[in-house]
Amino acid sequence: MSRRRSALTAIALPALLAGACGGGGTTQETFPLCADDPGPAPLRRMTHFEYGRTLSDLTGVAVSVADGLPPDEETLGFDDIADAYSVSSLHAAAYLDAAELAAATLVADRARLTAIAGCDPTAGDADCVGHFIAAFGLKAWRRPLDADELQSMQQIYSDTSDPTPTDGLAGVVAAALQSPQFIYRPEPATAGATAATPLEPYALATRLSLLLTGAAPDDGLLAAAASGGLDTESGLLAETDRLLTGPRAAELFVHVAQQWWEVGGVATLDKDRNLYRTWTDGTPAALAEETRLFLNDAWQGTPNMKTLLTAPVTFVDADLAAFYGLPAPADAGFQRVDLDPTRAAGLLTQGSFLAEHAKADQTSPVLRGKFVRAKLFCHAPPPPPPDIVVRPPTVDPRLSTRERFAQHTADDRCATCHLQMDPIGFAFEHYDAAGRWRDVDGGKPVDATGDLTGTDVDGALDGVPSLAARLAESDEVASCTATQWFRYAFGRAEQTPGDLCTVGKLAAAFKGTNGSGDFRKMVRATVRMSAFRNRPPESSP
Amino acid sequence: MTRRLSRRTILRGAGGAAIALPALEAMSPRRANAATGPVKRFVVMFSANGTIPSAWTPTAGTSETDFTLSPILAPLEAHKADLVVVGGLEQKGGGGDGHQNGMSGMLTGQLLNSGPFAGVGAAPAGWPMGPSVDQRIAEGLAVPTQRRSLELGVQVGPADNWGRMIYRAANQPLPPDDDPANVYAGVFSDLHTDPAVLARLRKRRKSILDGVGTQFTRLSGRLGSADRQRLDAHLTAVREVESRLTTDLVVSNPSCHDPAASPVSATANDAFPAAGALQMDLLTMALACDITRVASLQWSRSVSQTRFTWLNITAGHHDLSHRPDTEPDAVSNLTKINTWYAQQFAGLITRLKNTPDGAGGTLFDNTLLLWCNELAKGNTHSRQDAPYVLAGSAGGALRTGRYLSYEGQGLPHNNLLVSILNAMGLPDTKFGKPEWCTGPLTGLL
Repeated sequence: MSRRRSALTAIALPALLAGACGGGGTTQETFPLCADDPGPAPLRRMTHFEYGRTLSDLTGVAVSVADGLPPDEETLGFDDIADAYSVSSLHAAAYLDAAELAAATLVADRARLTAIAGCDPTAGDADCVGHFIAAFGLKAWRRPLDADELQSMQQIYSDTSDPTPTDGLAGVVAAALQSPQFIYRPEPATAGATAATPLEPYALATRLSLLLTGAAPDDGLLAAAASGGLDTESGLLAETDRLLTGPRAAELFVHVAQQWWEVGGVATLDKDRNLYRTWTDGTPAALAEETRLFLNDAWQGTPNMKTLLTAPVTFVDADLAAFYGLPAPADAGFQRVDLDPTRAAGLLTQGSFLAEHAKADQTSPVLRGKFVRAKLFCHAPPPPPPDIVVRPPTVDPRLSTRERFAQHTADDRCATCHLQMDPIGFAFEHYDAAGRWRDVDGGKPVDATGDLTGTDVDGALDGVPSLAARLAESDEVASCTATQWFRYAFGRAEQTPGDLCTVGKLAAAFKGTNGSGDFRKMVRATVRMSAFRNRPPESSP
Repeated sequence: MTRRLSRRTILRGAGGAAIALPALEAMSPRRANAATGPVKRFVVMFSANGTIPSAWTPTAGTSETDFTLSPILAPLEAHKADLVVVGGLEQKGGGGDGHQNGMSGMLTGQLLNSGPFAGVGAAPAGWPMGPSVDQRIAEGLAVPTQRRSLELGVQVGPADNWGRMIYRAANQPLPPDDDPANVYAGVFSDLHTDPAVLARLRKRRKSILDGVGTQFTRLSGRLGSADRQRLDAHLTAVREVESRLTTDLVVSNPSCHDPAASPVSATANDAFPAAGALQMDLLTMALACDITRVASLQWSRSVSQTRFTWLNITAGHHDLSHRPDTEPDAVSNLTKINTWYAQQFAGLITRLKNTPDGAGGTLFDNTLLLWCNELAKGNTHSRQDAPYVLAGSAGGALRTGRYLSYEGQGLPHNNLLVSILNAMGLPDTKFGKPEWCTGPLTGLL
């Protein structure tokens, strides 16, 4: 079987020595020596996640205001891939409803209005209304409004301040929030430029804030953009570090990791409750909360591959402990608990991951193996031959899952592809379709042996911890992690040589030297990339 | 019989109470109705993952009007004289995997552009290269209803080309709204908003959207072409919402009333039938109130994993659809699922037949319904002999009570789509990808 190595590994490994574009200093990573030129920069739209958080910051409306929007297109595993967006009148109507709700929420809060404007605009004083328009416009559009834009907002105020000035303020807010300047992330390009040019400071602030916090820039960041504070790498890193230590960054990490690990849908998952009797209406939300708490804990501690893949800890409350067959934690609510390291391995043995990568009525070594192959190694499985009738095995209580899936490898046409997935997936067989430990399957003792092939950490497997230990040591997995992060961070697939260079540099930060790297360092390294701080020239006028 | 909508009417419709309130001053005189013939309506219903052809195909008799409905179509027996069952066509499509091609080609007759959605065993695909047939109808009829079309769904899942069948134009999917509460609040808001409040709200929204439109135009001019296209599509959507504010809802049908919206989960698997029933109620009422004349109902999506627990089927639909024909249990369960969908289609027909259209007949009389599926057969992903059922005559344009098999003629489903356009009164001779389409379907109209 051919070994599928990504091109970026070749770039990343020798380059660890170089560090020529690393910026120096003992606290900085050394990067591979290559040009991380910016690739394409398609117009991005705020995702639901970003939209809800941002609207809430601006107006005090609940984050759930975003639930009324049609779902984000998801591809490459993420919700922010710009090429996938579409728009319809259902979107436009939903943006209208959300904007009106947010506007009503804001204008009902006179203290908040006053804080924004620096005066109480509800009396309709023309100067104060002007202050409000400029100040709210700056926050909402993440840059100062020009004279035409201020004039246009004044016009909307005049047209809508009937019967009261407060109605006019709500009109201004509703208009600003339906504007493409709010919904999208336009970045002014330098006219006539033929090479990449630095982003202007407000656009850079927007990129930074959405990347690190999943929300628009706060007042401090906007002030830094205004004062030239983002024009130097040290200034940019100072803001980066400020944002990275806040709770928002942890939430962002959870959001990205949930998508990468394909556990975002667990809250609406259901199982065949005749087979899995401990699965209740409350189970999906509890499994989602377990993973959220685990990821948050990892971010606060050491968010590296070893933690995510191998940590024998998790979070359970009494109900979830009962679901797993664990002792209830001493205190009420979700508590951090230690697990048996011969059974448990980080995210890989959490119910959210295991249940999502299974059928309603049986486990799926294919789905679990495919996840490891596609999302941790970034290997694309070859497609099934066109003449094959794909048929999941029927659940026969006299056979184990393993026996039912034996056909995949008995048939040569299936074997090519399934030998890449099933032998990894078999290592998960101690975990049933609901995500609980089992010793018996189909009346037989579980056989969780498997095989990892075609990677840089090949070897025999027996149970998830043996797989996890190999994955945690893998350069390929680290590089793939950087690829996943690149896709989220830039909202697109890696395409150009410059992109591969950027991915290589991110991977270097993620790996560190002698295991000193982690996700947090990779996120921090992102803002130092040329691709992050610059825009390509416009391809067409 | 034309009647202005009054607040009194609304309340009577909603709960029987009659409180005297000012008449709706916003209601303007009735717009010109199509002077040429009856008001025609078009409704599409989709169900997923193919059928069981042997249990779907009717038994032909001595002529096209002499046939026996199959087990799957048996729930439509009461409507048999109003059906045209169409078999033997190939549902064309391409560019992605089988489900993508079926889902996005079913109503467009088009290939998919390359794009970001990576399917199984195919290059990553995007959206189709042209509009869906219902949107061509909406365009062709140029009906000034408040909504150009209405897309409803039941648990339609993520936004991608496995889950979208309606396209405004190339690359412009129209997402179905799968939450009945949203549909009620959005589509019927004019019926349950105080007229004075409504008038003020419309004026206000118009001012705001005018300003928003200017901002779109301004920004669009500064963008590269791909980004500009995207923003222009957004502006079109804003304009469409704006046009709803200037199109008065004029009710000439006494059947129109503010529908009740009982709470039902839009996501819980077991609420699938209840949510669907509510959507069919809302769809019927949207037609009765002439809010729109073009509508669709998408049950789940291609690759649907709905678990039909109410039929005592616990496996996911898509998993089940891949079982081989040699497994009697799987075939029986899939037959049950498709029969259940036939019941839903029958329920939709019944709703339309039970609703007077205000001009002496029922909504059904001038409506054409189409039930389609993204595949013919789930375990092979085949789209040969795709299952189509038409119902209603579109005001007498279609002779019903027939089973037509085009088997062995190698005809594309594009031809069916052309005939649908013709039945709706449009003169089109081709639809979808021109290289596939050879004209209307012989013998259908």
